[in-house]
Amino acid sequence: MFIKARVGINKTKIFIICGAISLWSCQESVRPEDTSLVFERPPHFPEPTYTFDNNPITQDGFDLGKKLFFDPLLSRDNSVSCNSCHQQARAFADSPLHPTSIGIENKFGIRNAPALGNLAFMDEFFWDGGVTHLDFVPINAIESDVEMGETLENVVAKLNDHKEYPHLFKKAFGVDEITSPYMLHALSQFTVMMVSASSRYDKYVLREGTLNEEELKGLALFEVKCSGCHSGELFTDFSYRNNGLNTSFEDKGRALISESNADLGKFRVPTLRNVELTAPYMHNARFETLEEVLDHYGGGMVDSPTLDPLFKDGQQVVGIPLTQIEKQQIIAFIRTLTDEAFISDPKFMNQ
Amino acid sequence: MKQLMLLAFAMPMLLTLLSCNEGGELTPEEVGTFQIYFDNKVGTSDITLEEAGSTSYDFETTGGEKFNISSLGYYVSKISLSGPNGEIYQDEVLVNASDAKGYYHVIEGTSVSQNILLENVPAGTYDQATFTIGVAEEGVQEGALGGVLDPANGGWFWNWNAGYIAMIIEGNALNSGQEYVDWGNGSETLAKTFSFHIGGWKNVPDNENFVNNVRTITVDFGTTVSVGEGLSPLAHVVVDILKMLEGASVDFSTTYSVHSPKGGKVFADQLDQVFSVHHVHQSTSGH
Repeated sequence: MFIKARVGINKTKIFIICGAISLWSCQESVRPEDTSLVFERPPHFPEPTYTFDNNPITQDGFDLGKKLFFDPLLSRDNSVSCNSCHQQARAFADSPLHPTSIGIENKFGIRNAPALGNLAFMDEFFWDGGVTHLDFVPINAIESDVEMGETLENVVAKLNDHKEYPHLFKKAFGVDEITSPYMLHALSQFTVMMVSASSRYDKYVLREGTLNEEELKGLALFEVKCSGCHSGELFTDFSYRNNGLNTSFEDKGRALISESNADLGKFRVPTLRNVELTAPYMHNARFETLEEVLDHYGGGMVDSPTLDPLFKDGQQVVGIPLTQIEKQQIIAFIRTLTDEAFISDPKFMNQ
Repeated sequence: MKQLMLLAFAMPMLLTLLSCNEGGELTPEEVGTFQIYFDNKVGTSDITLEEAGSTSYDFETTGGEKFNISSLGYYVSKISLSGPNGEIYQDEVLVNASDAKGYYHVIEGTSVSQNILLENVPAGTYDQATFTIGVAEEGVQEGALGGVLDPANGGWFWNWNAGYIAMIIEGNALNSGQEYVDWGNGSETLAKTFSFHIGGWKNVPDNENFVNNVRTITVDFGTTVSVGEGLSPLAHVVVDILKMLEGASVDFSTTYSVHSPKGGKVFADQLDQVFSVHHVHQSTSGH
């Protein structure tokens, strides 16, 4: 069963079935479907990739996932939670004070923590794309020596020994014993609901709002200069590219997964939604401002065998030449991708 | 899951309709059981698991590599049986957060894991079994699953390049190039050990860099056996690790730590030689 979720259709089916059953058998008692929390695909977004059929969203499952997301119990010394590096005010990226993530015992990671949002629509996760299903994402943070430093097995044991969690898992999933798939499903229920599609840009696209002249000029420039990689409504083509940050690659990037030198120094093209809030930028947190990023594309790139050909003209590295005014306009447009409703949505707050 | 729910609701409806119309009895198809026993060997020798670090080298390849085995196992999935008269049996695969029916984790030294009992096999004669070693894309992409695929409960899983490890062979080798490594937190790798973790499941179109080490194998019984009421045959499958190591021309001095799809390919490529039916029994009274 590798079925893409079409939530609307499935719900209709269920209602029909429920209706049929209630007509058909008087004694059958059907639990009413939990409709308090529904995943909705924004009309201009692609179909979600998440396997909702295996893990239908419920209020209890979502609440449990939220509790786990904010709980440092997931780390070996109870010091680091998911929220430590994924903060709502930063669109669930890390604080600029932590250019690369800080884990247990103040250990430093090697990459900048990505923003969370619109995860339901993604096929691959992390800067190198090594994980292909959202459920498996948290295992990497939990078991990383420099992040949570814990084992999945021990997290499950701690949850089973906890005074609240066994009851909460029972309520959410009907299980008497907590196992890792249920914990991962709960976390996915929380993170998959993080849909960011209420920015000023979205309102413009959906004809519910407008952009000013500078922003519209920026959008026009963006479509010519940037959308070769940052394409579609998620502002990424989900490819892996070398954008000229380095000439040697201590962090191999995509090559860690593909085991091919052709992918050395290539990293996921990130979404640009909420990017105004997620400084610093690039996998290695090289740049502190969007201006620095555009300066890099304008003339700061360095050549290497895997540098993306989009940035080259023959043998010459040309990057993306932009005037100061063009840079300002593009940045003005990029700021319209900031989703204030998303970063202030009480649904995702620890309360 | 949704389809199953539909089915679960639809079946009683159908049955009610049927019973109303006919009033007669539905005769279920005659079924029996079939057992597959996975017998891990090195050549013709049985395997006794040694401790990591043990210098008691029980085996030797024709290339003169002395070694022993401390851990061995693999995932078996998508088992099917077929017969000369068109008989087909497909083991049910049903996965969710609580179980992974149809996935089996065969582990040397855990005899219950080495016997796979297939139920509700249609009556008839069978002369072939087909199964997959490893967990293919459709299993990985279901997300977090329970049963033998739960990574916190004995499941073999790679986090960084997420997917299940199809097969693990670990042991000690006289010529192993492995040096002692202290990983901290009480975790260590002993000198002279080897560790072959064979995984990788991705099929990426137009990108040969990605290696899919999941293999589907068909084994012939060399004869036919009958399944039916009171008939429960068994296929004794020999899994010869020597064929894998020799087929891969293993040199432990340079190959001792395999933990990536590309490194595992040379071993995965031997799998169809490694699994064979030694013999079949018409009854399951013995192996």
